[in-house]
Amino acid sequence: MFGCCWCCSALRPRYKRLVDNIFPVNPQDGLIKNNMEKLTFYSLSSPEKLDRIGEYLFQRASRDIYRRRNGFVVIAMEAMDQLLVACHAQTLNLFIESFLKMVQKLLESTDPQLQILATQSFVRFANIEEDTPSYHTRYDFFVSKYSAMCHSNNDDSIIRKQIRLAGIQGLQGVVRKTLSDDLVENIWEPVHMDKIVPSLLYVDKEHAMPDSPTEERSDPPQFAETCMRELIGRASFGHIRCVIRPVLRHLDNHQLWVPNYFAIHTFRIIMFSIQSQYSYTVVEALMTHLDDHSKSSPKIRTSIADTLSKIISIAAGESVGPSVLEIINSLLSHLRVSVTRNQSSSNDEQLYQEALINALGEFANHLPDYQKIEIMMFIMSKVPYSQPDRIVSVGKGDVLLQSILLKSLLKVGTKYQTIHLNTTFPPSFLDPLLRMSLAADAEMRLLVQKIFHTLIDRHRNIMKLAKPTVNMVELGLVIEKASRPDVIFIRKHGPEIYLALYESLELSSNTVENVESIYTTLALLAIELASEETILELLRLVLSLQDLALTSGQISLSLKFNLHATVISLLVLISYVCNITVLMDYAEKVVDARRKDSPHLLPDLQSQYDAALTSRLTPAVLVDQTVVSECLKGVGLDSGKLQQGSGYSSNSLQHRHSWVDSAGRNSLADINSGGQELDSGGSSPSVQKKLPGEELTFESMKRILTENNNNYIVEEEKRMQLSQFFRNAPFQDLVSKTQPKHDVLQSKLSEIFNTLSVEPRNTVSTTGQQTDAKPSQTPSYEIHFPELFVY
Amino acid sequence: MEDYKFLFKVVLVGNAGVGKTCLVRRFTQGLFPPGQGATIGVDFMIKTVEVENEKVKLQIWDTAGQERFRSITQSYYRSAHALILVYDISCQPTFDCLPDWLREIEEYASNKVLRILVGNKIDREDREIPTHVGEDFAQRHGMYFLETSAKEAENVERLFMEIAAELMEVSENILFKSILLLW
Ligand SMILES: Nc1nc2c(ncn2[C@@H]2O[C@H](COP(=O)(O)OP(=O)(O)O)[C@@H](O)[C@H]2O)c(=O)[nH]1
Ligand SMILES: [Mg+2]
Repeated sequence: MFGCCWCCSALRPRYKRLVDNIFPVNPQDGLIKNNMEKLTFYSLSSPEKLDRIGEYLFQRASRDIYRRRNGFVVIAMEAMDQLLVACHAQTLNLFIESFLKMVQKLLESTDPQLQILATQSFVRFANIEEDTPSYHTRYDFFVSKYSAMCHSNNDDSIIRKQIRLAGIQGLQGVVRKTLSDDLVENIWEPVHMDKIVPSLLYVDKEHAMPDSPTEERSDPPQFAETCMRELIGRASFGHIRCVIRPVLRHLDNHQLWVPNYFAIHTFRIIMFSIQSQYSYTVVEALMTHLDDHSKSSPKIRTSIADTLSKIISIAAGESVGPSVLEIINSLLSHLRVSVTRNQSSSNDEQLYQEALINALGEFANHLPDYQKIEIMMFIMSKVPYSQPDRIVSVGKGDVLLQSILLKSLLKVGTKYQTIHLNTTFPPSFLDPLLRMSLAADAEMRLLVQKIFHTLIDRHRNIMKLAKPTVNMVELGLVIEKASRPDVIFIRKHGPEIYLALYESLELSSNTVENVESIYTTLALLAIELASEETILELLRLVLSLQDLALTSGQISLSLKFNLHATVISLLVLISYVCNITVLMDYAEKVVDARRKDSPHLLPDLQSQYDAALTSRLTPAVLVDQTVVSECLKGVGLDSGKLQQGSGYSSNSLQHRHSWVDSAGRNSLADINSGGQELDSGGSSPSVQKKLPGEELTFESMKRILTENNNNYIVEEEKRMQLSQFFRNAPFQDLVSKTQPKHDVLQSKLSEIFNTLSVEPRNTVSTTGQQTDAKPSQTPSYEIHFPELFVY
Repeated sequence: MEDYKFLFKVVLVGNAGVGKTCLVRRFTQGLFPPGQGATIGVDFMIKTVEVENEKVKLQIWDTAGQERFRSITQSYYRSAHALILVYDISCQPTFDCLPDWLREIEEYASNKVLRILVGNKIDREDREIPTHVGEDFAQRHGMYFLETSAKEAENVERLFMEIAAELMEVSENILFKSILLLW
């Protein structure tokens, strides 16, 4: 542009002379301050000359760099800095181009000191808010160079650290500069992000070693983190992926997943700085990444899933709407893939599944309780199970999946705090859960009971009731009187729950653990629902269990002993919980008798007993129903219910099949309300049918849920009215009221009996039906069934 | 002296130890460094050359060969005008890795990028890759080919000058074409 002759000419323009004058003869003397003031004053008064001043300073510096006269270069840079600061905002853009050319020139030199100096100037520039941004400015070079500087490998460790720090600061400057103005270069382009992000991570990783916690705040990783936070904090929805992608690639390329502390560290930074409404996209990105790694070693997948579980809670607080179920769904499908693809699960694969389940639990943990119920129902809806009225057995993969899903359910359940049982157990959740409690696999049944434990227990009694015991006082149980909604709940669902537990105890594959876990469920129910109204039903079950132990030809002797021990423990517990002294005394008497005669009928449960023991027992060691009834009567409880149940089939104690009886009755009710071919609407299985598989959205879920609740409330009201009616109305009225329906009912009944009798005895207590369907009972059906069917 | 008409970015890739850094140093500083650490991430040198009386500024990005720096080195491919893929003629494994490098180039570099295959260290006695094998490979993959020695300064100058000339021609063509288009 200008020839060399201009420099020697005496006719040099004023601005050049002013620039020349700031340089001393000897570079060590530094910038000549007086003359610098003159130059500044001149540029302020004649701002139109700024671009030429800048250009000239740049040319001088270029020449000095070439001649390796670095002292003068430093002075030129300093002068430019001062001018930059002095310039008014409006005129700044005239100067910027030469200023940046100068910075670039210095960065291109091989002298680290010049590079660092240039960076400092650049950072100063980056912090100036421009009024009229120079749209033409390209930051491409700066991104490339500063990224390279972050990776500096200067032999001198001090210089290396300085250069890396300069690199970070430079990147931070570029980010600030470009983010503050949308019209300037788009920093989110992959060309830039792919350099910036790995460089920040590299510095963070290289220096963020645990041995330097005391280092001052100006250390490179500190800056790298700050810069990362700034970058992510500014990212809008469309830009998040641009940042996350290079992060993931970096972690892949540098094998930073195993171990994953750095990955967790990085993702924590991301989650804490991202605009919260976008946080779930990060979770999504990690899930997708898990997909991409579906062929990688389980160790890597475990690490990714673990990272997920460490950040997912942060996202949970912000996740609303469909994203919640999408995340759950995605976690579940990862589980499913893992289960189906690896039937013979290796240890590593299991760790992976556990990590996923943990992530699920972590996520649920931070959701509001009503969403936890939704999630539990959602998970339950994914559990494959064989229909109760068919013998189609589930495959091996299904069993694995069942148990994985139940584990997930348990995990979510432990994070949930029940308030009212009826909100925790809507029928569409309770029914399949009860069905699973009869699964063929003993371990699965154990899982289901554990789910019940965590959901029923509100007073932290689980641990105290882990095993049957007859020493209640030592336990220090926390007992509170049952609330009204709970009583309503157990009145409605008690029979089906008890029936399922009864049938579950009947299974010959039970281990001691299974029996104990069912004991725990019953004990928790007794405590949580301690009320005079509900205790009778429970006592009926207890007595039936004793019958089962006495009469069953299916179960082993040791299981029978286990049942006796469970029965006495429950009796002690119930009498204690309801504070019925006479019953307590009676229970104590039986306990004493057993202590003397047959200690094997007392806890602890054993899997093996002395081979010499027989099933024949003296009446003294058994719980006598009449005595129990008397005890109840003594405290003014209507033990008729107990009688009524037992007297159902016959009056004799020896033939007391009370539970089986009422079980039969309830199972009929169950079949009727559950079978879709029968005309009962709004029952739970049909609700489940409504769930539209994979298309499930949060909204539809919610709709179903509230719908269902409404149904429930309406139903409940009807039921109350009805029972009121049945209680008060004269018998004749009842008979006539129900008469018209009676024929229909009767034919349906026989239909059911027919199907039941051909079904093999696998579920739904069919034995009860067959043995007890005696002609003499017909009247009782007539009385009982209208109530059960009509409402 | 800051006046240049063209600015080209050249990126060197290849296994660690094949002599990329030495090639860059030889060209930009005219020396063969005795001992130096392996490159970490990316490094960068600048040299302005003259082709047909036009000043051409070459930004030469030297990348680290090790696996663990892939994420940063890959990111430099995209903006490159020319990619120099280097192997060591006395080390068969460095040649065997070429397809891997090409895959990476395919994935990350612009498809218009000029590609040059360079067999370095021809001063060494223990050659393992005959010239024609390298030549064949280059031809099959549409690359220019040259053998060099950073140590003996053989073909180094020529390598970069040819690149500068070629890039200039290409971009002048583009310039010319766009002017034609404007007309
Ligand atoms: N004999 C010989 N050795 C070379 C040549 N170029 C590089 N080297 C040596 O090869 C080693 C690696 O060189 P370097 O440039 O660091 O390789 P880079 O990892 O590709 O950058 C060093 O010990 C050099 O001295 C060459 O042309 N001839
Ligand atoms: Mg190197």
